[in-house]
Amino acid sequence: MPELKTFGRGGIHPDPHKRDTAERGIEPIDPLPSEVWLPLLQHLGDPSVPIVKKNDRVVRGQKIAEAGPSGVPLHATISGKVKPIDKRPHPTLVSAEAIVIARESDEELEFPEDPGWRELGTGGALERIREAGIVGLGGAAFPTYRKLTLPEGVRVDTFVLNGAECEPYLTSDYRLMLAEPEAIVEGALAMARIVGVRRVLVGIEADKMPAVLALREAAKRVPHEGYSFDVVPCEVRYPQGAERQLVAALTGRAIPPRALPLAVGVVVQNVATAHAVYQALRYRKPLLDRVVTVTGPGIVYPRNVRVPLGTLLERVVEFCGGLRVDTTRLIAGGPMMGRALPRLDLPITKGMNGLLALTGRGPFEMGYGPCIQCSRCVDACPLGLEPDQVSVRVEAGKVLDTEPFGARECYECGCCTYVCPSGRPLLQFMQVAKSSLRRATSVRVTT
Amino acid sequence: MSEPAAVPAPSTFVLAPGPHVRTSESTATIMWTVNAALLPAAAWGALMFGFPALAVIGASILGAVAAEWGAGRMMHARTSVRDGSAVCTGLLLAMTLPPRLPAPAAFLGAVFAILFGKMIFGGLGYNLFNPALIGRAFLMATFPLPMTAGWSPPAKWISHVDAVTTATPLAALRERGIDAALKLAGGPESPLAGLFLGIRPGSIGETSVLLLLAGGAVLLLRRIISLTIPLAVVAGVALVTAPTGHVDLHLLSGGLWLGALFMATDYVTSPTTRNGQIVFGLVIGALTGVIRIYGGYPEGICYAILLANALVPALNLWFKPARPVFAGAPS
Repeated sequence: MPELKTFGRGGIHPDPHKRDTAERGIEPIDPLPSEVWLPLLQHLGDPSVPIVKKNDRVVRGQKIAEAGPSGVPLHATISGKVKPIDKRPHPTLVSAEAIVIARESDEELEFPEDPGWRELGTGGALERIREAGIVGLGGAAFPTYRKLTLPEGVRVDTFVLNGAECEPYLTSDYRLMLAEPEAIVEGALAMARIVGVRRVLVGIEADKMPAVLALREAAKRVPHEGYSFDVVPCEVRYPQGAERQLVAALTGRAIPPRALPLAVGVVVQNVATAHAVYQALRYRKPLLDRVVTVTGPGIVYPRNVRVPLGTLLERVVEFCGGLRVDTTRLIAGGPMMGRALPRLDLPITKGMNGLLALTGRGPFEMGYGPCIQCSRCVDACPLGLEPDQVSVRVEAGKVLDTEPFGARECYECGCCTYVCPSGRPLLQFMQVAKSSLRRATSVRVTT
Repeated sequence: MSEPAAVPAPSTFVLAPGPHVRTSESTATIMWTVNAALLPAAAWGALMFGFPALAVIGASILGAVAAEWGAGRMMHARTSVRDGSAVCTGLLLAMTLPPRLPAPAAFLGAVFAILFGKMIFGGLGYNLFNPALIGRAFLMATFPLPMTAGWSPPAKWISHVDAVTTATPLAALRERGIDAALKLAGGPESPLAGLFLGIRPGSIGETSVLLLLAGGAVLLLRRIISLTIPLAVVAGVALVTAPTGHVDLHLLSGGLWLGALFMATDYVTSPTTRNGQIVFGLVIGALTGVIRIYGGYPEGICYAILLANALVPALNLWFKPARPVFAGAPS
């Protein structure tokens, strides 16, 4: 096998824990939820504005909220009656306005193919992607049409499709690549067309070789004259799927501190996003479902589940056999960058790629010791920052002295905390330093 | 769907920031691995020099653990003697001591090492100097004679040196020349083989280069230390001692390998960046050579490491980790 691509420095090799779900194909949730909660804000940007009211009947696929100025619209994911629009628990915002639909039927809008979809201009295609409510499905939930809208004067030459899925436990992207390789290739090529590049690189970690082969085969069946389309197996190494690390692995280009991939002429999109974009462009089908890996030692039957957005976690967990009694922690996303959730009566949102049920005490609950300056965090940091030096200065109350050690550049991959033998919450020390430095700078600018 | 009914779910879950998984390695696993890696060379010392050496090792570990426990209680320290770091300090100190040192002196040295080398700075992680070497420096000042003269020869069954007390090879080299130094090394083959295997007078744990390398290899394989500092130390010694023509003797005697593999690599008192570690190691090696050739003592690694320890905060400021370099915007 040729040498695998990867990024330069740092990174870790956490236990992958993918076995429980890697061999399980995507299963639609059954039964369909009797109710969905659709928060008006599931993306980065302004909340959507409801266009339905209490007691309206809606059909799956129908738009129920218009996009806010920098956001995306929202669609009904099941058919039924709209309940009062009010605040509901939200996975990241604690509580937020949500449109609640009680299911009454299995009707669905039809989405006939648009035969001219490949000839759509850039503007038309972006409009369709926005209208479909698509956001980054890899977890960030940034509106996709905005990421594909290049700022004036910016030139790009490479489109990177992110199938790395470097977070432990998660296999939803892997299963989607196996189930829908052609749709993903089509979606990637369409996005490359939108940003005007002819070079597509797909990065997939080498523990998913079947997906590498599936996408390569699919690329042979999808017409793409004039475009190069290369599927590149990458080393299994966290955080291979972080934009910076993936771009470095595939193109050898290093993105400057705190800049976007655009700075080195690259646009990055996740494979699940590519799938949704294809559906939106060819069939005008909005984003209604997503695949969630439901796994971890607390889940009785780990699975990859396709769920309508807004389905409550308790229904999803129920479909996976329920929670074991020793479950102590519930995580949205992967165990490295995912967020802890307090309860099960929360909706699946657009950015939620995994639901982990973990047992036992987590690293943060174990307490921590002093820094023994072993430099494991320095060696693990993919950016070459010094979390050890930042942490001792934050502890000593000298937050503003952390600048030379790179606190501002941290994008919070968590490698430092993972490797620390003293169990120190280094990532949180970095966050404290980062926000303090940011505040200090803004004061300096305004006075 | 004919799966068993869901077990009752807990209704609330622990909210904690991520990451939600971590390595199984801990400060304690690291320290106890270091202790285990030191054991072969320490056991060799006990075998060569007999009961007095064993008494020094025991007294030193006891002193270190007692001092850490007592001071920790007074300071309400969040660390515990169970993390193995006090045992490590006690064992390391003992390995740098002469076998005939009275055991109570070793105990006292270990107490001093922990109290004034470590706890006074705030305990584990905060000390500037290597605590074991602080203990040794203290004993050099308070018990100068037992610390420098009257060394035990290696056990009679393996050595040809027939005396009650003798000198170390480095001291002999200094006072009587290379031939006298080489005569002190026993063993089956050449004197250099005797030095390598550890059949010579010396401090309890410093003599067997072979067993120290074996312990160091364990730490390398477990990725507890890297080669950077030891290689730089050895390179520094070789460079400075090259003009004397006795590089081989310098590399195989004294406490070089104990210091380079187990003391200069102490996390707390060494730099955290690679380039800083290279400079740190070279400084230690060069100072060791300079003290051996020009200084007042036959062996210099103890003071060389202590002096280089003082440079660490500056080295951590001056040297930065390698950062990805911005490159490659499209034309």
